[in-house]
Amino acid sequence: MKKIIISSVAAALLAVSVNAAETYGPFPITVKGYEGKKENSVSYTGQIARHTIEKSLKKLATKGNGKPNPELKAKMMAYYAGKDADRLIMDPTTKGDFKVKQTKIAEISKGKNLKGKTYKGLVSGFPGQMTGPEVVEFWIDKASSTKGGYDPLTGYMYNQLISKFLMGAVAYSQAVDNYLDERLEANKNPNNKPYKKGTQYTGKEHVWDEAFGYFGIPAHALNLTPKNIYDIAKKKDLASADFNKDGVVDLKTEMAFGPAYYAAGFDKSGTNYTQTIVQAFIDGRKLITSAKGEKLTDSQRVELKKYAQVIKTNWEKVLAEAAFKYAGSVYKDLIKINAILEGENGDIKKAYKTYAKHWGELKGFLLSLQTSGKDLGGTAVRLNRLSGFSPVSVTGSQVTGIDSEGNYIASGNKSLTNYMVDMIKIQKVLDDRFGLEAKQKDVTGKMQALLDSMGDGASAEND
Amino acid sequence: MIESFIQPFISEWLGSFINPQKRLYWGYILSAISIGLIYLIYTKYSFIQSLKKLFSYDAWLSKSARADYLILFFNSLFMLAISSKLLTKSVIAFALYYWLSDIFIDSSMFYGLLENWQVALLFTTVLFILDDFSKYWVHRWLHTVSFLWPFHRVHHSATSLNFLTVFRTHPVEALLFSLRNALTQGFVVGVFFFLFGDQVSLTMILGANMFNFLFNLLGSNLRHSPVALPYPNWLERYLMSPAQHHIHHSTALEHKDKNFGVVFSCWDRWFGGFCHSEKINDLDYGLQGDNDEKEHNLLTLYFIPFFSSFKFLAKKLKRE
Repeated sequence: MKKIIISSVAAALLAVSVNAAETYGPFPITVKGYEGKKENSVSYTGQIARHTIEKSLKKLATKGNGKPNPELKAKMMAYYAGKDADRLIMDPTTKGDFKVKQTKIAEISKGKNLKGKTYKGLVSGFPGQMTGPEVVEFWIDKASSTKGGYDPLTGYMYNQLISKFLMGAVAYSQAVDNYLDERLEANKNPNNKPYKKGTQYTGKEHVWDEAFGYFGIPAHALNLTPKNIYDIAKKKDLASADFNKDGVVDLKTEMAFGPAYYAAGFDKSGTNYTQTIVQAFIDGRKLITSAKGEKLTDSQRVELKKYAQVIKTNWEKVLAEAAFKYAGSVYKDLIKINAILEGENGDIKKAYKTYAKHWGELKGFLLSLQTSGKDLGGTAVRLNRLSGFSPVSVTGSQVTGIDSEGNYIASGNKSLTNYMVDMIKIQKVLDDRFGLEAKQKDVTGKMQALLDSMGDGASAEND
Repeated sequence: MIESFIQPFISEWLGSFINPQKRLYWGYILSAISIGLIYLIYTKYSFIQSLKKLFSYDAWLSKSARADYLILFFNSLFMLAISSKLLTKSVIAFALYYWLSDIFIDSSMFYGLLENWQVALLFTTVLFILDDFSKYWVHRWLHTVSFLWPFHRVHHSATSLNFLTVFRTHPVEALLFSLRNALTQGFVVGVFFFLFGDQVSLTMILGANMFNFLFNLLGSNLRHSPVALPYPNWLERYLMSPAQHHIHHSTALEHKDKNFGVVFSCWDRWFGGFCHSEKINDLDYGLQGDNDEKEHNLLTLYFIPFFSSFKFLAKKLKRE
C-alpha cells in the first residue's frame, strides 16, 4: 500500500514537472570559488523594488488636495531619490484574497530609488530643455500641488505621465541601453568573475537577470496565459500568481508589473510579445549558465546578443503598441468632447478628464520610446510635434513652453478635429516605423477593414 | 515553387464559385440560367429547345469558347503572379485621406450628420455609380484609342459568347482594369472617410456590395451568353440589358462602338454610344470585317496586340 502511495505521488510529481513550462530560475551557481550557502544564482530584487517605487509614485501623485503641498512633494521625492528603509509599498498592496507578501520596499531590496537610473538624455518631447530626472522632479513638484494629480488647466495628469514615462526612462532604458547593450561586451562584467566580491552570481549572469527584472514579469510566465498575467497585474488572480502555493504573492518573483502588463494586454488580442521576450530571456540565461563560470567566448556572446536583440525589438514594439492604443483613445475622447461642445448631452469636465488621462498615457509612452539610447531620428521629431507639449484645450491652446519661474506658457488655436487627425498620423508613424501587430484602437483600421471587405480588385474581367 | 503556386490557384478558383463578390458565384450562375430559360420559353422555344440553345455546342465548345478557357487559365496564373505588385486601393485611399487631412483643417466634418446606415447607403451608392462611370470611360477608350484597341480586340474576337467569355481579356487590359479599380475605390473610400470618419461602411448582401449583388443576381452573366435578353425600351434607357451588350459584340457595322456601359446605359446616352436592343434577331459576334480562325490561337491572342499597338504608336509618332 505504502509503495502504491509513494509511486502515485512520484507519478503525480512527474506529471506536474512534465506539464510545467520553463521558469526563469532557479539556475545553479556557476561562479568559481563561491563559499556561501545560496543555491540559486538568480537575483533581480533591485529591479522589482524599482517597479514598486514606480507604482507607489503613481499612487502618491494622486494624493494632492489642490494646494501647494511641500510634505507630499518631500514624500514623493523620498521615493524617487531617497533610500529610506521604512518606505511603504503604496502599490501593489493586498487586495481581497490577493495577499501581497511584502509591505515595505526594503523587504524586496534595500536602499533603492529611481533617480540614479532614470534616462539622462534630453527629453525633447517636453518643454524646458530638461533631462529625464529633471522632468520627473518637475512633474513631482507640479503633481504635489494638484488635486488628485490632475491639472484641468493644462490637461496634464501627472500620475499617468510619471508612471508611463518611468516605465520607459527607467525599466526599458536600463534594460535595453545598459544591461542588454554595453554590459554584454567582453570587457564588462565578465562571466569568469563574481558580479561583485562574494556574490553567488557571475557578472554576465547578473547583468542578464537585472534586464529580466526590469521587464517585470512573473518568473513562471511561460506557465501562464496573457490573460493570467494581465489579471495578476490587476491583482485579480491569486491562483495564477502564487506559483509556490504559499498563499501569498511574492513580489520578487510572482508579480506582473508595467512592461509585462502591457505586453500581456496586447497578447490577449493575439500577439506573442510576452512569450517571445520571456523565452529569449530564459534561453539567454541558459546559455550563460552553460558556460559554467568561464568567460563567454565571442561566439557565445554573439548568440547572447541575438537573444538580447529579440528582447529589445519586442519590448520597443510593446511601448509603441501602447502609444498607438492611447492615440486611438485620445481620438475617441475628442469625438465625444466635440459632440458635447456641439450640444449633445454629456459631462464636459468628465470627458475632458478622460481625455487628459489618455493623453498622459500617450505622452508617457511616446517619451518612453525615446529613451532606448537609439536615435529614432525623424520618427521622434514627428511623434513629438504631432502630440505637442500638452493636450489641445477646448479653446485650441496648447502648452508651448515653460518660463523661468517654471510656469507653463500656452498659446495657439488648433481645432480639436485637427488634433484628431494628428492622432491618426501618430498611429501611422508608429505603425510604419515599428511594424505593429496588435494595433488596438486603430482609428483607420476601420478604413482598412472596409477596403478589405470590398474584395480584391485584381481580376481580368471584361464587363 | 510549383506547389506554392498551385494551391492558391485552386483555392482561388474554387473560391470564385462560393464567393458572392465574384461573378461566377453559383447563385449568380443559377439565376442567369433560370432567367435565360424563362425568357426563351416565354418567347417561342420549348424547354428542351431552350436548354439546347443555352448550352449549345457553339457557345460552349467552339474554337472561340475553347480559346476563352485557355485565356482564363493563363490569365489566372498571370494575375496570381503579379497581384501583389499592383497598385492597391488601400494605397490610394490612405494617401488621399492623409492629403485631404493635411490641406483642410477639419476632417470628419460630417461625422454624426447622418445615421450610420444612411452613410453606408450613400457610400455604397456613390461607389457603385462612380465605379460604373469609370468602367464606361475605360471601356470607351479601349475602343477609341488606337494603341489600346489591339488589346481589347482580343475580347471582341470571340465569335460565340458564354459565361466565361467575360474573362477573355488580354493581360494588359487586366492591368488597366485593376488600376481603374484601385483609383475609383480608393478615391471614394478616401473621400468618404475624410468626411464621415469611421461611420463609413459598405451596405452588403451576403458579403458583396448590395448593388453588385443585385446586378449579378438579375442575370449579369447573360451579357455573355447565347441568350440576348432585352429590357423594355424605357428601362434600357437607364439600365444596360444583356441584349444591348450583345449589340456591342455584334459584327454589324451599324453596331460599331455602341453600348460601352456596364450597368447603367445613361452614360452612353449622355456621352455617346447608346443603342436600343430592339429589332435584333440572330446577331453575328466578333470583329467587324475580318473574323479569322487564327483569332483563337493563343499566341496570336497574347502577342499580336503588342505589335499592333506598337505599330499604331510608331505611326502616330512619325506623323507628329
